[in-house]
Amino acid sequence: MNDTFFISIVTFTYFSASLVFLISFMFKNKYMGTAALTLTAAGLVLQTLALILRWIHSYQLGIGHAPLSNFYESLVFFSWSIVFIYMVTRKRYGRSITGILATFFSFLILAYASLSGKVDCQIQPLIPALQSNWLISHVISSFLAYACFAIAFGTSILYLGKRKSGSENIGLLPDAAVLDEITYKMISIGFVLLTLGIITGAAWADCAWGRYWGWDPKETWSLITWFIYGAFLHARLTRGWRGVKMSLISILGFLAVIFTYLGVNYILSGLHSYL
Amino acid sequence: MQTKLYRIFSSARVTVFLFFVLAATSIVGTVIQQGLPLERYEKLFTPRLFAILSFFDVFDMYHSWWFTLLLVLLSINILACTLKQLPRIAKLILNGKKGFDDSVFTSSQIRKTWQRQGNLADLEEQTGVVLRKLAGTPTRVEHNGAHYFFAEKGKYSRLGMVFVHISILFILSGGVIGTIWGFSGQMNVVEGTTSDTVVLLGETGTIKLGFGVRCDDFTVEFYETGMPKEYRSDLTIVEGEKAVISGSIRVNHPLVYKGLKFCQATYGVAGMDKFRVVVHNGRTGKENILTLTLMKKVSLPGSNASFAIAKYVPGQVGRMPTVLGVLLEPGKAHDIFWIEPHRQTDKGGFTFTLQDYESRYYTGIQVSKDPGVLLVWVGFLLILAGFILSLFFSHTRVWVRIAPVEGGYEIAIAATISKNKKAFRKTVEGVIGNFQQGMVL
Repeated sequence: MNDTFFISIVTFTYFSASLVFLISFMFKNKYMGTAALTLTAAGLVLQTLALILRWIHSYQLGIGHAPLSNFYESLVFFSWSIVFIYMVTRKRYGRSITGILATFFSFLILAYASLSGKVDCQIQPLIPALQSNWLISHVISSFLAYACFAIAFGTSILYLGKRKSGSENIGLLPDAAVLDEITYKMISIGFVLLTLGIITGAAWADCAWGRYWGWDPKETWSLITWFIYGAFLHARLTRGWRGVKMSLISILGFLAVIFTYLGVNYILSGLHSYL
Repeated sequence: MQTKLYRIFSSARVTVFLFFVLAATSIVGTVIQQGLPLERYEKLFTPRLFAILSFFDVFDMYHSWWFTLLLVLLSINILACTLKQLPRIAKLILNGKKGFDDSVFTSSQIRKTWQRQGNLADLEEQTGVVLRKLAGTPTRVEHNGAHYFFAEKGKYSRLGMVFVHISILFILSGGVIGTIWGFSGQMNVVEGTTSDTVVLLGETGTIKLGFGVRCDDFTVEFYETGMPKEYRSDLTIVEGEKAVISGSIRVNHPLVYKGLKFCQATYGVAGMDKFRVVVHNGRTGKENILTLTLMKKVSLPGSNASFAIAKYVPGQVGRMPTVLGVLLEPGKAHDIFWIEPHRQTDKGGFTFTLQDYESRYYTGIQVSKDPGVLLVWVGFLLILAGFILSLFFSHTRVWVRIAPVEGGYEIAIAATISKNKKAFRKTVEGVIGNFQQGMVL
């Protein structure tokens, strides 16, 4: 069975999960919350299976490699990461609001990956530059970081929305302070993972190109992202900034993430031409 | 003045400011391609703009004076902040055991005081259990007739952030050392030849290695889809006349010799090595396959004519590769003509067909030397160690004072933790509840 078939089921599952989360959230219904969580967990398990299946399939094609090597695979893994980060941080920082954000973001990414028609979902062999043991650790840490930043981006937008209006529906949202706190926690985890992603990337670059840092656009943009979130953490922890300013920095940071992920490859040129 | 400067540099406001400035300015170098020859930029911009941009070294901005200045300021900032925090952290780590400080029982985040009857030995035993549960084996001090107990765990987690900040200094100094005493460049070595010259990045000069790098063979493999699968150069390091080591390099699998790293970077066709041409002699009716190298004359069997290949033209889109053949017969003018694969060319009673050819590649090797790289790795390990320390460990301290009062003892407990305060408060309150009821055992 083809993994892309499973992915289409997962896409649907995440979409349903986000709807059920929304219902549970609007009517403060505990059972719906449990149902949404079950759906999300099922989606994550199925998506994990799809990833494994694709991995096995690549070996059957004689070009075996982890499914983390092209745009399609990176999108699928990005969506997996968001739900994964939500599930592991759920106990501590989880609210149904983060559940909605995580499943909905993942749904959007998967829908784009399968439906846009611009993303080639074929399993391709690895070009020489990607044949490295660093591939897995570099991609996993980077995308888990992106996932944390995506959730923080969502809570920051909601925070601003909450601050701006204060209408009835938005009143359902958790306290502004709670959103602020989730943003902060997600960014602090994401920052550590991003650091790990940059370090594994540097080690890889040293091995492949003979230098750990060469100011290639991809490297530079990952550092720009790192500076922005570094500023966020310092502003919060040592200057005591809270609220709107923090949300704006978080949104700015996520724009840098998107640019690091996509913009560098589609707008600028450099060595990191395979996403 | 000195203290004012120190105050500015040890301020986290400066850190936030520098981070934003570094982030914003770094964008420039990703938009304007870096390190091209200056003439290219001169054509791109108006003279005035070019003058301004070159004043700010925008064409190599990450090594410019102002970007370096920003990084120096960041380093000073990190150093000053760390120095400012160090006494407090040292105190927390070294002097944490001062057990009989009564102020903790009135000022700590979590504290409780109550009175109980019972004998001292029981209370002390219960105190020991409680402390071990929360923080570890307690130390015990007697002071002014009261008994003080103190236990702590995870005090070294306080060093986590110090490690993270110091690591940046390691990484930056590694970078400086690499920039000053290291180099990076490329050498192209044709198969079968030896080279000892590296062309520095940006074509700013060349470096003699002091030994030779011989390329014994270069191969490139492709997948069925036409995507490249492997680039491999078999290299031999030659010192004087002696081959020292041989090894193959592939992408991601460099060769290291004398602190220099040789990475497979690129390749190209240097020329044609051998050509095989099928020659049909119309007079004798015989067919021969000749193996030729460029510009080397061979005689054609069964005749007094000779033949050479003068030129090779690589195949282009929609066109086969061709060679220029020269037929020499005594007493006649040279006959020059194209020979192609799969197509016969008749000349002077012979029929020529290009059968195949072996191309000679050159391999492009990235050569780099970076004596600062070790410091950078140390920095990387330090930053990870720092994050692990501060993420997964926290500094827990718990104090207990048992003081005799009329009709029993007064028990005071105080506890602090460096993070996850909410969860810790819950745990401590639960333990205290049990302690109050004497249920700890």
